[in-house]
Amino acid sequence: MELLNNLALGLTVAASLSGLGYCLLGVTLGTLVGVLPGIGTMATLAMLLPITYHLEPNYALIMLAGIYYGAAYGGSTASILLNLPGTATSAVTGIDGYPMARKGQAGVALFMTAIASFVGSMFGVVLLSLFSVPLARVALQFGPQEYFALMFLGLIAAALIGSGRSIRSLAAVTLGLALGLVGLDLNSGVARFAFGMPELFDGLSLVAVAIGLFGLPEIIANAGRIISAPPDTKGITLRSMLPSREQWRRSRMPMVRGSGIGAFFGALPGTGGVVATFISYATEKRLSKHSDEFGKGAVEGIAAPEAANNAAVQSAFIPTLSLGIPGDPVMAIMLGVMMVHGILPGPNVISGNPDLFWGLVMSFVIGNIFLLVLNLPLIGIWVKILSIPYHLLFPVIVAFVCIGIYSVNFQVMDLYVLLFFGFLGWGMKSLNFEVAPLLLGFVLGPMMEENFRRALIVANGEVSTFLVRPISGVIMAISFIIIAWFLVAGLRGLLARGGRGGVAEKRNA
Amino acid sequence: MFGYLKHRREDVIAGLVTICVGIFILTEAFDYRLGTLTRMGPGYFPMLLGVIMCLLGGVLLLFSQPSAPSEPGAEGASTRGVILVTVAFLAFALLIERAGMVPSVTVAVFLSALSNRTTSLVTAGVLALGTAFACWLIFSLLLGLQIKAFW
Repeated sequence: MELLNNLALGLTVAASLSGLGYCLLGVTLGTLVGVLPGIGTMATLAMLLPITYHLEPNYALIMLAGIYYGAAYGGSTASILLNLPGTATSAVTGIDGYPMARKGQAGVALFMTAIASFVGSMFGVVLLSLFSVPLARVALQFGPQEYFALMFLGLIAAALIGSGRSIRSLAAVTLGLALGLVGLDLNSGVARFAFGMPELFDGLSLVAVAIGLFGLPEIIANAGRIISAPPDTKGITLRSMLPSREQWRRSRMPMVRGSGIGAFFGALPGTGGVVATFISYATEKRLSKHSDEFGKGAVEGIAAPEAANNAAVQSAFIPTLSLGIPGDPVMAIMLGVMMVHGILPGPNVISGNPDLFWGLVMSFVIGNIFLLVLNLPLIGIWVKILSIPYHLLFPVIVAFVCIGIYSVNFQVMDLYVLLFFGFLGWGMKSLNFEVAPLLLGFVLGPMMEENFRRALIVANGEVSTFLVRPISGVIMAISFIIIAWFLVAGLRGLLARGGRGGVAEKRNA
Repeated sequence: MFGYLKHRREDVIAGLVTICVGIFILTEAFDYRLGTLTRMGPGYFPMLLGVIMCLLGGVLLLFSQPSAPSEPGAEGASTRGVILVTVAFLAFALLIERAGMVPSVTVAVFLSALSNRTTSLVTAGVLALGTAFACWLIFSLLLGLQIKAFW
């Protein structure tokens, strides 16, 4: 009953004229940037941030969230038609989607991704509406120990799960944590890692760091690309999109499993869509009777990861809204927008601003229905957009990124930060470091230090306080089990190679 | 010994870089007050991070594996692209507060458009002016962003 009342309250926000308008605007923009390779969600959010400061927080968040999950839908389009993922999470979809398109089944693949995305999203939304309130209630009892433990688990999971090079990922996380400390220390007022530059006292701009690490290398890598083969779009009519009964049957369970896997990794701060898509793809490949078809156009191979990706996107809001811990950089931006409007992230957000939380939840439902329309009957528009020549598009992207980053703080320094992180990301990639863990460390760095300090003040400097409190103890135990598991796996790999210097089959370093 | 290191170049370099960054964090951390576990100063947490970085770098060095043969299809970004896009961003950064949005967008778009070899000077110029006009329309007129459009 309480849930129904809440949903009704949410509907009054989300189904109002402005609510619907900003939701539609968000998901349309999201689909657009998802479809176009080279403009990420972060760059788009950066450009729109200054505008959202003038909006009511409810509508601002509805629109920004729409961009985030809309991009998760659109990302698969370029992946399927051009084998060029529009977003990082849709890379997996291309493994089977592109071969399907080559076989003349592009329509079916696009249809299946839209349906799977919808199923995954709805699953995530249901979990969000069921679990956020109880979780926030539990979280009211959390002390700094629990917060520290949760972030510790998130970072460990992000570095170790789904990464072939765990030591490098841990180093990237650590560097990210250190970079997060740049600026004035709140407790002592000392400027750390600022090198005398007052522009850095407020810390590095999240938007500049994120776009530098992810967007810039993408732009540069594609700048020299001469002609992208225009996608073959003749065969895509609504009728050709309908999957056969056999394809429906084969996709059903993968979608369900994908949703579950996605929702789990999405809700865990640190891991997210990318990990979820890879794991759900691997799961289906192992379970399927047709595992030899994977990579050659198996319909399960797009249904499962797409469901996982979208479930992860929606469930990422669970820790963000009920605990105030952002699971990825986009969530950190959402929390930033809330703070600009005077809403303090944490377990009190839902009870203090029920219209905001439930309005968001209902807007997810509405937005996903919009997306279904945008991605099924209107798919032709997005496919056409893909044939815009990239060499004319990316200079425009450069201009928008410049304006977007500058206008967040009106600080020229942020543009230099962007370039610095572009080169850092490039250097890390050439040494086989992943940049995603670094960004997560950067996002969580200040919160982690703050809670670490507070916990030890409360506990009089006893480090064991993280282990003896029941909730934080359990979370720390899970983290240590993950670490131990990877230590064992790593050592076993070393022993198996027996010191003989052959080419390692699976590298763990 | 040299052959051993050369064979494992990738991990060895990664390990050394990690250790160097760790040492850098440590030296910075020791500039700030460390404090005690109960009353941590601003240097304590960075100090822990520096130590962790050094340890991870050490592990990378100790357990370095032979480098995998480099992938044949891996083509790097063109030098022209890297330089021109970088210069485009620098130009925007240098111009935005002096000359305003329209001139800096024009220059940035023009320069980055040239990073593709097939784009002619004329195309780049038209694109640059068009984008600058569109930006002025969207950001200054429609959204009323607080960036001056001209000098």
